[in-house]
Amino acid sequence: MFTNQNGRGTKARADSDKVVRYLLMAAASASVLILLAILVFITNNSLLALKSTDLLGFLTGNVWKPSEGLYGAGNIILGTLLVTLGSLVFAVPVGIGSAIFMAEVSNAKVRRILKPLVELFAGIPSVVYGFFGLMVLVPALAGLFPEQMPTGFAWLTGSILLGFMALPTIISVAEDALKAVPGTYREASLAVGATRWETTSKVIVPAAISGIASAVILGIGRAVGETMAVMMVTGNSALVPEPLWNVFSFVRTITATLALEMPEVVVGSTHYSALFLLGLVLMLIVLVINLCAKQVVRNVNRKMQGANGRSFLRRILGKKDAKRFKRGFSVIATLAVAYMVCSLFLDQAMALALSVVLASVLILVQMFLKRITRSSRQKLMHSATFLCAGLCVIVLSVLLGDIIIKAVPALSWNFLTGYPVDAGKSGGIYPAIVGTLEIIIGTAAIALPLGILSGTYLAEYSKGGRFAQVLEQAIDVLNGTPSIVFALFGVSAIVAILGLGVSLLSGCITLAFMILPVIIRTTEDAIGNVPLQVREASYALGANKWQTTFKIVLPAALGGIMTGAILGLGRAAGETAPVMFTAAVLMRYSVGFNLLEPVMVLPYHLYYLATEGSADPSMQYATALVLLAIVLAMFLVANVVREYSNKKNKW
Amino acid sequence: MMSEDNNEVILNIQGLNLWYGEKQALFDVDMPVRRNEITALIGPSGCGKSTLLRCLNRMNDLVEGCRIEGTVEYGGVNIFAPDADINGLRKRIGMIFQKPNPFPMSIRDNITFGPRLHGIEKKKELEQIVERTLRQAALWEEVRDRLGSNALALSGGQQQSLCIARALSVNPDIILMDEPTSALDPIATAKIEELCVELKKDYTVVMVTHNMQQAMRISDMTGFMYMGKMVEHDRTDVIFHSASQEATRRYVSGLFG
Ligand SMILES: Nc1ncnc2c1ncn2[C@@H]1O[C@H](COP(=O)(O)OP(=O)(O)O)[C@@H](O)[C@H]1O
Ligand SMILES: [Mg+2]
Repeated sequence: MFTNQNGRGTKARADSDKVVRYLLMAAASASVLILLAILVFITNNSLLALKSTDLLGFLTGNVWKPSEGLYGAGNIILGTLLVTLGSLVFAVPVGIGSAIFMAEVSNAKVRRILKPLVELFAGIPSVVYGFFGLMVLVPALAGLFPEQMPTGFAWLTGSILLGFMALPTIISVAEDALKAVPGTYREASLAVGATRWETTSKVIVPAAISGIASAVILGIGRAVGETMAVMMVTGNSALVPEPLWNVFSFVRTITATLALEMPEVVVGSTHYSALFLLGLVLMLIVLVINLCAKQVVRNVNRKMQGANGRSFLRRILGKKDAKRFKRGFSVIATLAVAYMVCSLFLDQAMALALSVVLASVLILVQMFLKRITRSSRQKLMHSATFLCAGLCVIVLSVLLGDIIIKAVPALSWNFLTGYPVDAGKSGGIYPAIVGTLEIIIGTAAIALPLGILSGTYLAEYSKGGRFAQVLEQAIDVLNGTPSIVFALFGVSAIVAILGLGVSLLSGCITLAFMILPVIIRTTEDAIGNVPLQVREASYALGANKWQTTFKIVLPAALGGIMTGAILGLGRAAGETAPVMFTAAVLMRYSVGFNLLEPVMVLPYHLYYLATEGSADPSMQYATALVLLAIVLAMFLVANVVREYSNKKNKW
Repeated sequence: MMSEDNNEVILNIQGLNLWYGEKQALFDVDMPVRRNEITALIGPSGCGKSTLLRCLNRMNDLVEGCRIEGTVEYGGVNIFAPDADINGLRKRIGMIFQKPNPFPMSIRDNITFGPRLHGIEKKKELEQIVERTLRQAALWEEVRDRLGSNALALSGGQQQSLCIARALSVNPDIILMDEPTSALDPIATAKIEELCVELKKDYTVVMVTHNMQQAMRISDMTGFMYMGKMVEHDRTDVIFHSASQEATRRYVSGLFG
C-alpha cells in the first residue's frame, strides 16, 4: 500500500529493524551469561571442599589451616563483618553529613568544587589507599596507641581506611537523593516558618530517606568487597578479637584470604576449592546485603506514602511508655558504648567508673542540645555538616599531598622510561606504565561495544518485558559483585579452561566483565536523557527505529556515554586483584603489544613494592603517583568530555 | 467599598528594587497592603509578580545572587533589617504556591508540621488545629476520617485546600498566593476563590493571578505590573473600569499580554 517511491520497500526496512533488535538482544544477554558462568564456575570449583568439610563446619569452624587440611572460615567471615561494621560507624554519619552540607547548606560555588572532589575521591585506586594506609595510617596509629596496637596493623586501621573508601559512594548517592527532593517541599516548609535546618531534618531527609538508605547499603557493599587496602593494613591473622569489640586486634577478611592464598595454591586441590567456597560465601553476603537493601527501600517508600506514622514501639507500648523505653534504651546504649571503649584502655573497675562519667556527660550534652534555641541549633548542625565535608577534603588533601611530595625525589625521566632493576629496587617502571595502558585499551575494546549495545537495547528496545527484568537483575548483581570474585572467575575460567593463560587478554576480559555493568548503566542513562522530541522528529521524517537509534539517539548520547565509560576504565586501570591473578607478572624486560603474553601493571607493581620489595620509599611513592596520574588524567578527560557535551546538547 | 480604605496598612512596600545577579527584575515598586483585603497582582508573564510576592516573606533569600534594595514594612519594622527574625516573619506571612505542594506525609502531619516547629506539643491542641484549619479550608468533611492517609493521594484541588490549611495552621496575619488556581480545574478553582473571600474576614490576602476575571471577582485592590514596574495600583473596580494609565487599560481589555 505505502510502497516506498525510492525503491527500498518498507518491508525490507522493517526486516532490518528486526535483525538489529536481535543483534542488540544478543549483546545484552552477555550480562546474563557472564553472571551464570561466574556462578557455575565458582560453585563447581567449590564442591570439592565440601567433601572434606560440611558447609556448617566451614561456616562456623574457627581454625583455618590449609596446611593441615583444616578449613574453618568462621573467623574470616567474622573478620569481614567486623571490619565493615567498624568502617560504617564513622563513614555513615560523616558521609550523610557531607551530603547534607553539599546539597542543603553550602552554596553553588562550594558545591562546584566539592562535587568533582568527591568523584576524585571515588576514583583513587584501592591499592593507593592501601599504600597510604601502610605509609601514613599504620605508623600514625601505632604512635597514637603504642600499648594497644604496637604494630599499627589492626581492625581499626582497616576500618578507618575502608571508611574513607566507602565515603565517596555514600556521599554522592546520598547527595543525589537529597537533590532529587522537589524544591517545592523546601519552599513549603520554609513558608510555615521552619528554619533551614528544620526543613532539612524534618522534610528533605525524610523525603530522601530511601535514597539515603541505598547510599549506605552501596557503601557497605563497597566495604565488604574491598580487597587490597584491607589486606595491606589489618595484619591478616584470623583471630577472634578479645573482647569482641577490641578494635586493636588483628583480623583477616575473606577478600584478603583469597588474595593472599590464591597465588600459592595448587590448582585443583582442596585448598583451591575451599578458596572458591569462600568466594561464593562473599558473593552471597553481598547478594543478601543488596536484597535487604531493596527490601528496606521498598518498605521505607511504603511507609512514606503509607498510612500511619505510628511506630511499632508506640503501637505495643503506648505513647508514654514508648518514650520512656526509648530514653532508657539510649541511656543504656550510651553507657555500653562508653564502657566498651574504656575497657580497651583500662582495667574493669576503672573502665566502669570512667564510662559512667562519660555517659553522664554525653547525656547532659544531649539534654543541653534539646534546650538551645532553634537558630543556634541550626548553626550547630550546619557547622557539624561543614566539619564532615571538611574532614573529607582534609583526608583527600593529605593523601594526595603526601604522595606528591614524597614522590618527587624519585621522579626522573629514567624512572618513567627505564626498566626495573634488581626486583624494582632501582631502575624505572616503563613496562608497568605500558602494561597499564595496554590493559586500559584492551578492556575498552571488549567492554565498550558490548556495554553500549546492551545499554542501547535496554534503553530503546526492551520495553520492560520479562527478559529485560532478568537482564536488569543480572546487571545489578554483577555490579555489586566484588572484584576479587571476578578475579577467581578469571583464574578458573579464562586463564585455565579457555587456556589463555596469564596474559594481557585474560586480564582484559576479566576487567571488561567487571566494568560491563557500569558501561551499560551509563549508556542507559545517557540515552534516557535524550528528549523524546528528538526521536519524534526523526520518526516524522520516516526513519525507522534502528536508524533513529543509531543515527540520532546514540550520537546525541555519546558525550554522556563516553564520560561514564572513561570513568569506568579509570577504575579498571587501578584495579589490582583481578589483574594480579590473570594478567600480571612482577618483571618484564621488554614491551610490545602481545595479547597472549603477561604484562607488568602499575597497581600490582605498587603492591609488590609496598609489601614485599625493599625498594626505597620514594620509589614506591613515585609509582603510586604515576598510577594516580593516569587515573586522574582519565578523570579529567571524562570531565572535559562532560562539559563539552553538556555545552553542545542544551536541550 | 469606601470604608475599607480606612483599614490600616499592614504591609508597606516602598522603593523596592530587586536584582537576580546582573539582571534587575523589580524597579522602584511601591504598594501599601491593607488589612482584611484581597490585593491582586496582575500583569503579563515575566513582569515580576512572583518576584514581588516572594519578597514579602523573604522567599527570595533562597535564590543565590538575589539582591534587594528598598523596604517592606510589617508591624512597624523593615522585614529586610539585618536582625529581622526570618522564621518568625514567615510564620506570620504564609504562602500558597502555584502547584499544590503537600509534604509526602499524612494529611494530619502536613498540618501539624508547622505548629510543632513553633513549640506546640500537646496532642489535643494539635488535633484542634487540624480540625479548625481543615474546616477553614472547607476540607474537613471530605477528609475527617482519613487524616492518617497520605496527602499525595488527594485530588489537585483538595491538595491546594490542604496547603491553605497548612498555611493557616501557624496563625498567620497575611497569606500570599502565587497563582493558586492555575493548576486546578474550574470547579476546584471556584472553590478556592470562595475560600479566599471567606479568609479575608480573618486574614489579609495578596494574590498573584494571570486570570483577570478572577482578580475582578474576588479582589478589593489590584496592582498592575509591567516589566518589573508597578504601573498602577488602585481599587479593583477602578483598575478594570477607569484606569488612569493607558497600558493598564490596554492590558485589562485584553489588548496585550
Ligand atoms: N530565580 C531566578 N533567577 C533569575 N531570574 C529570575 C528568577 N526568577 C525569576 N527571574 C526573572 O525575573 C523576571 C520576573 O519573573 P517572575 O517574577 O517569575 O514573573 P511573573 O511571576 O510575573 O511571571 C523574569 O524575567 C524571570 O526570568
Ligand atoms: Mg509567576
